[in-house]
Amino acid sequence: MTNKSRRLRDSAIAGVPVSLALTVGVLPMIVLFIESIGPGVTTANYREALGPLYRGTLVYSLGVGIIVTGVCLAIAYPVTYWVAHRCSSRYRLQVLIALTLPLWLNYVVLNYSWVWILARGGLLNRILTDIGLINRPLDLLYTDVSMFIGFVYIYLPYVILTLYVSMERLDYRLIEAARDLGATNRRVFIDVILPSTLPGATAAALIVYARIAGAFATPAILGGPGNVMIASLIAEAFRQYFDYGFAAALSFVFLFIVVIALLAGGAIPQVREELRQW
Amino acid sequence: MTALTADNLSKTFAQEQAVDGVEFTVKNGEFFALIGPSGCGKTTTLRLLAGLTTPDSGVIQVGGTEITDQPARHRPTNMVFQDLVLFPHMTVAENVAYGLKQEGIAAKARAERIETTLSLVGIEHLATRNPKQLSGGQQQRVALARALATEPDVLLLDEPLSSLDRALRGEMEAEFRRIQRESDTSFLYVTHDQSSAMSMADRMAVMRDGRVLDVGSPEELYERPRTRFVAEFLGDATVLSGRVTEVGSQVTVDTPAGTVSADKNGKDVSIGATGSVMIRPESVALGSGSISGTVIDHAYKGFFEEAAVELPGGEQLLVRRGDDSTHDSRSTEASSDADDTTTFAVGDELALQITDAVLVEG
Repeated sequence: MTNKSRRLRDSAIAGVPVSLALTVGVLPMIVLFIESIGPGVTTANYREALGPLYRGTLVYSLGVGIIVTGVCLAIAYPVTYWVAHRCSSRYRLQVLIALTLPLWLNYVVLNYSWVWILARGGLLNRILTDIGLINRPLDLLYTDVSMFIGFVYIYLPYVILTLYVSMERLDYRLIEAARDLGATNRRVFIDVILPSTLPGATAAALIVYARIAGAFATPAILGGPGNVMIASLIAEAFRQYFDYGFAAALSFVFLFIVVIALLAGGAIPQVREELRQW
Repeated sequence: MTALTADNLSKTFAQEQAVDGVEFTVKNGEFFALIGPSGCGKTTTLRLLAGLTTPDSGVIQVGGTEITDQPARHRPTNMVFQDLVLFPHMTVAENVAYGLKQEGIAAKARAERIETTLSLVGIEHLATRNPKQLSGGQQQRVALARALATEPDVLLLDEPLSSLDRALRGEMEAEFRRIQRESDTSFLYVTHDQSSAMSMADRMAVMRDGRVLDVGSPEELYERPRTRFVAEFLGDATVLSGRVTEVGSQVTVDTPAGTVSADKNGKDVSIGATGSVMIRPESVALGSGSISGTVIDHAYKGFFEEAAVELPGGEQLLVRRGDDSTHDSRSTEASSDADDTTTFAVGDELALQITDAVLVEG
């Protein structure tokens, strides 16, 4: 076979899957984009999506994303530190599997398990009344509280896994060296643990925050009437009002914000390194 | 004056006794080496002294004050770790400043101390560099400077030179001595490399199976070791066992290889008892001796030639012949028949004279 024909054959072999992936991945986006600027070519949908009515929901969704991500990180730091540096290596794998078990289950099921726990007649309220801590059941379900618990529960495993990789790579003797030189626990965290694991924490945040901000099931199942997030609005526009153009425009506005954050994070080489593992 | 005292220190890890009643003292301004084969408990001992591991029992004193229950960050000791573990996200100067910052020393005094410490270890020109950009020897100096900056009473060093190649290690050993002298700090240096310990230390302790077997100056331990293990650990040694036949200022031991006269080495022995004598290769002279053996191997070592000689009892003895041999009594003028350039040959019968031997345990 000549060099040229071989190259032709190689491109043909590579071309099929690549074009398939592009069709599957990009085509819907193109269709969605055309829809969003329709009918014809107009910015009407975008103007409406960025209007005061939806801007609040957009900001609220991103706010929830940021807060839940922060809570997840605050929990994941001590947990991953313990697993990577304090837990006996004999049980480390088992502990890691136990911590990330929710990843293996359908997230709708995971959400409903919290309905069962937090309901007025649910597990938690029954335990609390039985031990006499409260007289009347607490209204936990369909509130901010239940929605945040659900979010943290579902996204914590991703944060733990991503942060764990960084935490495990941290040389424990750096911590000993800092202690030996007089550092308190607080200084050890600020001077040694944080700088070494910050790329991992940033990567974890980038992975989960957009998914939380754009989540559909958790606010729908565990949230109250006040917990309206962007995904519900998009679904509503599609299903109830058949306003495809507006739904598409809303999706693109959200996508744009997420991509900007991702690009900003990806611009940091250490963070890019961490993200490469996913 | 005593800088550091370890008194009956013990530590057990999961049923394994890592350190078993270790005792020694380090004097002020002394270079003290703690040596032993890997797994003898020397590193654990060092970690107990640093406060990075808690002892099961025993007492640690620094400068006459008990510090056994003090956490590492309060102890007047600093450690140089085996793989140095410099803070990777800090510059050289920031690494050195770290301990000073924790002590709350003001910025101006801190800058002065950083400068003095960096020039003490000879890397003042590298202050703004990142540790990762430095060579192995330079990193050693940074690690040393970081630990010395707060002027600890005792500096604990955990085999810091083990990752360096031989030539650089020799150079750094000399530097460690100089820095130790100039900083007037007590150094406690842990290593499994006896030659490195002997060339640096004022005194040293030999450890085995979690215990200290012997403490003394390198000369004392090399020439008059208490036990066979110490003798063999510190260099080439042959130990011959036999029956004691005469006890005077010296003892005579009748071994299968022949009769050897040995220094008592402070031991009480009586006639008829079993005794072991230790012989170093440099205490064996060629020709006209009470012992003979067969050369089974020989090696050219540059400035001397070495032969392994099998003795009648099956033991092996190393014999050396230098280019300007002081052992060889034959005159070069009398026999210029290339006798001096003759090398050992396997199968040669050699008559040997033991010029110095000492009684050891074991």
